[in-house]
Amino acid sequence: MAVDNIVYLIPALPVLAFVLTLAFGKKLPSGGGYIPILAIAISCIISILAFLQINETGIPIEVSAHWFSVLNVGILIDPLASVMLLMVTFVSLLIHIYAIGYMAHDPAKPRYFAETALFTAAMLGVVLADNILQFFIAWELVGLCSYLLIGFWFRKPTAAAAGKKAFLTTRVGDVLFLAGIVILFFNMREHVLPHLTGHETVYLLQFSTIFENIHHIPSGQLTIITLLFFGGAVGKSGQFPLHVWLPDAMEGPTTVSALIHAATMVTAGVYLVARTFPMFIAAPDSLMVVAYVGGFTALFASTMGLVMNDIKRVLAFSTISQLGYMMLALGMGSVIGAAAVGFAMFHLINHAFFKACLFLCAGSVIHSTGTNDLREMGGLMSKMKITGITMLFASLALAGIGIPFINKIVGFPVGTSGFVSKDAIILDATYVFAHASHDWIPFAFGILAALLTAIYTFRLWFMAFTGKPRQDRHPHESPATMTGVLSILAIFALIFGMLTFVPFLDFVGNTYDPHEIEYLAGLGGNPLLEHHEHGIEHEIHHIVDTASPIIILLPVIAGVGGLLLAWVIYNRRWISVASIGNMRNPLFAILAKRYYQHEIFIELISLKFTYGVLALTSEFSDRKIVDGIIDGISSFIIGGAEVLKKIQTGVVQNYATATVLGVGLIALILSFRGVI
Amino acid sequence: MLPVSYYLIVAAIVFCIGVYGVMTLRSGIMIMMCIELMLNAANINLIAFASHFSQVNGHVFVLFSIALAAAEAAIGFAILMSIFRSKNNVNIDNINILRW
Repeated sequence: MAVDNIVYLIPALPVLAFVLTLAFGKKLPSGGGYIPILAIAISCIISILAFLQINETGIPIEVSAHWFSVLNVGILIDPLASVMLLMVTFVSLLIHIYAIGYMAHDPAKPRYFAETALFTAAMLGVVLADNILQFFIAWELVGLCSYLLIGFWFRKPTAAAAGKKAFLTTRVGDVLFLAGIVILFFNMREHVLPHLTGHETVYLLQFSTIFENIHHIPSGQLTIITLLFFGGAVGKSGQFPLHVWLPDAMEGPTTVSALIHAATMVTAGVYLVARTFPMFIAAPDSLMVVAYVGGFTALFASTMGLVMNDIKRVLAFSTISQLGYMMLALGMGSVIGAAAVGFAMFHLINHAFFKACLFLCAGSVIHSTGTNDLREMGGLMSKMKITGITMLFASLALAGIGIPFINKIVGFPVGTSGFVSKDAIILDATYVFAHASHDWIPFAFGILAALLTAIYTFRLWFMAFTGKPRQDRHPHESPATMTGVLSILAIFALIFGMLTFVPFLDFVGNTYDPHEIEYLAGLGGNPLLEHHEHGIEHEIHHIVDTASPIIILLPVIAGVGGLLLAWVIYNRRWISVASIGNMRNPLFAILAKRYYQHEIFIELISLKFTYGVLALTSEFSDRKIVDGIIDGISSFIIGGAEVLKKIQTGVVQNYATATVLGVGLIALILSFRGVI
Repeated sequence: MLPVSYYLIVAAIVFCIGVYGVMTLRSGIMIMMCIELMLNAANINLIAFASHFSQVNGHVFVLFSIALAAAEAAIGFAILMSIFRSKNNVNIDNINILRW
């Protein structure tokens, strides 16, 4: 079919745009920014065509070519990849359009547009990969681009340091991921290859080959592999404890933050778990870890978001928190099966829309006020109407404001996209709690984080857009390329979830064959709660219908409660901010210090442990023990030579004496032995 | 007719004097003379055995040996002369530049 032949253009065009922009950007208007826009627009159109074809035929698009030995390169567009493709190309396109206005005054525009084009291409490579090795290569490319773009203003020391931090922190995860791939490869060769001798071509690391042969891999090995994969996801998606790079990544241009947080990079980790979900479901222990780490991160990050004063840092912590929700949703898969992938991806897509919108609004605010500090903003609503309203919409989506119960009447949920997707995850956790594990912790994480999310989101909005201006600057509304993009994203943030809830989950949930998932779950010793006789759609309704009204109400109560609390404190100021937010309040102090993470990570782990113990010990053993042995041998030989060379006196008589003595000695020995 | 051992004992004594001189004396000329002593001790041995076994070979060897000793003395003294020119003495223990 036609689309099959052109899908390779989806990542290839942005790569081409990268080369062209880098080479000729200086000579073109807007630093060559229109080249990536055009390339990504075409990629987006091809993605839409691919989506339409899959939606119609129900058969994934697969293109594969032999690489070497048992490996291949290829493209796989199944429903999971398809929705990611649409989101990445679409959001990336909007962010590129926005960047034309935002980066207008930056002299390094060609470099910026080249790098963002490469970033998008790398992310598309991750999404399209049909084998885990290709996935990893693109994944590393994403890491490289994040380093380049976070450190875009590399003359600023903090930006250079932030780029390095992001690169090194995600590297920890990448090494784990690579270790997982290596172990997987050996397992495939050891346990799977003997079963495949009849086939003509076998590509060991291709996803389809892996998924079909999971039952041959020992379950202990599978748990290790999936945990290592999740380690990679923790690094890229900023989950606890490797989340530290994400807030610092705000040093880059705001459009880069939007790209990292919405379209590329951080979603790669969630996508990795979703992509290898059949492996995870056969290793329920790993999924449990995923759920707990995700839930904990959701709560942990949102508490820190409460006290940040940098507008972008608040959003950064909210990204970490929302990614935690996605991981939590995936972790629930051990009970509800492939529907979990749908829930996680649905939140991922919705999050991409409202978080891109929030970041770009923040960019618009920073662009016009020239500061990142929320305390210096205020009263911007009158000056920047479009930015204010779009940001309000996106904030409502992030806080998850909506109308519960109405889906029974109109047939679809009514509310912002965050309401639809986040509540689905919380309901999901409740369902698992009530029917399977009786483990209330993930649910508690989810609901508490929802409350805090609403508070910090509206704290940000009220501080920036209401009240009196706290600075005598002259903010102005941003140009039309920027506000236009904001409006599109805000509309998506509002209505996307409402319109697509059940069809989306149905579409993505069928990425994996339900019977296969059920079989694999049984393999992991943790059979699914429900059988999939009635399809995913039925199951979603089942989850929603069995929940008690109070459970359905709770997330909304949390969202609205948070909104009201933020309104009381930061808009009406009935409660003085200073009375809570000072360093004498131990709770505030610990949050403002970000749980002393800097102290723990840098001073304790890095300096004391890694440098003080590991580095100095290995330095000692290297210098003193290893080098000591070598030095000892050589100094023994040199010292011996120093002694022995004294024999060489240069006086002929000494030699003569030695000769005479030697001859005498020989004669003596020979005479004793009776020779002479 | 004295037994051959008498000659050998004399030769051994002379040889030992020569060896002792080579090992202990400092003057180059004295060392040369001690070397001559050792050669002559060997010559005495050769003559003694030649006489003892009534063979002429020993005599011939002694003639060679004397010629050799003359040549050796000529070269040795020439070397000592040039050492004396540069160092103003012929003490062998000063000539030790070929050492560590």
